[in-house]
Amino acid sequence: MNAHPTREEDFDLYALGALEGDEKLAIESHVAQCADCAHKLAAARGRMAMLSLAAPRVEPSSAVKQRLLSQVRADAEGEARTRSSPATSRAPQSPERAPGFFTGWRAAILVPALAVLVIATAWLWNQNRLLNFEVAHLGDIVKTQQRGLVAMREAVDFMESHDTVTVALAPQSGQPQGAAHVMYNTKMGMLMYEGEIAPAPNAKSYELWVIPTDGKPINAGVFNPITGRADHWMMKMPPGVEPKMFAVTLEPQGGMPQPTGPMVLVGHA
Amino acid sequence: MSSESGTEPRASDAALIERIVQRDQTALAALYDRYAGMLSSVLNRILRDTQAAEEILQDIFFQLWRNPSRFDAARGSLPGWLMVIARNRAISRLRHHNPAAGGELAEAAAVSTVNIETAAAQQQLIGRVKGALENLPAEQRAAIELAYFEGMSHSEIAQRTGDPLGTVKTRLRSAVESLKRTLHAQAASTP
Repeated sequence: MNAHPTREEDFDLYALGALEGDEKLAIESHVAQCADCAHKLAAARGRMAMLSLAAPRVEPSSAVKQRLLSQVRADAEGEARTRSSPATSRAPQSPERAPGFFTGWRAAILVPALAVLVIATAWLWNQNRLLNFEVAHLGDIVKTQQRGLVAMREAVDFMESHDTVTVALAPQSGQPQGAAHVMYNTKMGMLMYEGEIAPAPNAKSYELWVIPTDGKPINAGVFNPITGRADHWMMKMPPGVEPKMFAVTLEPQGGMPQPTGPMVLVGHA
Repeated sequence: MSSESGTEPRASDAALIERIVQRDQTALAALYDRYAGMLSSVLNRILRDTQAAEEILQDIFFQLWRNPSRFDAARGSLPGWLMVIARNRAISRLRHHNPAAGGELAEAAAVSTVNIETAAAQQQLIGRVKGALENLPAEQRAAIELAYFEGMSHSEIAQRTGDPLGTVKTRLRSAVESLKRTLHAQAASTP
């Protein structure tokens, strides 16, 4: 069994449908074997479902209820008919009525055959429905893997390119300590951050900035490190941006559109 | 129109489910009156298609009629369970346009303790949830709405908003933490 998720919020993010790839698979394979975490996931689903209540109120038309109740009534009548006249114990025919086709030896053969046919049809219908689910799920997996492959190819090209520049980010005195570097490639318009830094104080996040030779700082990622774990990501840079320096600042949780807090790590391009 | 009006004492969700098991059609009508508006709202928000929303709404209640025992009252509240089902069905329809994504109520396990059997309780909880969302920074609120109402993953949100993937992940995690905290605090202070 793989390890328990490190943060409770992982269950909520899974319930939201935000996780993908390895993160998603890690939760799925773990809860399949851990009853405690399966319960936590079920609770997260219930918790996230409350977001439904934020939807603007839209009352259904009265026709929906009428259709539903007609459907239910027809279903109940069908059930009642099945209960009151089971095919194998029909009431005796009245003397005035000519014998029907479904009587005698024909009934003995055809009624069970019909029952088998109905059950088989229902089973096949259900199998078809399950297969449709499975195909949709597999389609999602293929799409995720294709996206992963494209990203990996881009990463390899980026790392191997002679135009990729590495900038070390140095810690600033009096600020949380850490080490990081940024790699960027203006021709490919890509940037990669990798670093390890002390966790942000409560209600704060770190934010990486590209400070261009001309113009305002550009947000290049908001992050909340975990002790002992490096952060790394790749992203596209806006076209035409020529970096002058990179900086990590301490900002209110979730980040800011422009830097407001102290610089924690700084590196010149 | 409402089958909840009249002088009859108000039945609990669990009692109505038990009556549906006994094939009481009025019990289903009562549950429909209680929760159809809430489910219709989320279905319309996700699908933005009244006809598709009404089809799913009708099917959810018909399946509840056919298989009331799928709901296990010991594991949580009925509205929480119905909301999970409605959202899953709508997202499935939205993303795959898969009409087969209906059928039985064989949804993933969900536990919710919310009790909103009365219109007043529903209104109170709606206010709490909307308030908690409104308290989030705009970027966090947008990210969580894209995830919940449009079924988008981290990378799909990053693609839609043009923000770095790491930023989107941090935003969503922060949003979830804040929502849990706010809703928990509100629940604790509610008499």
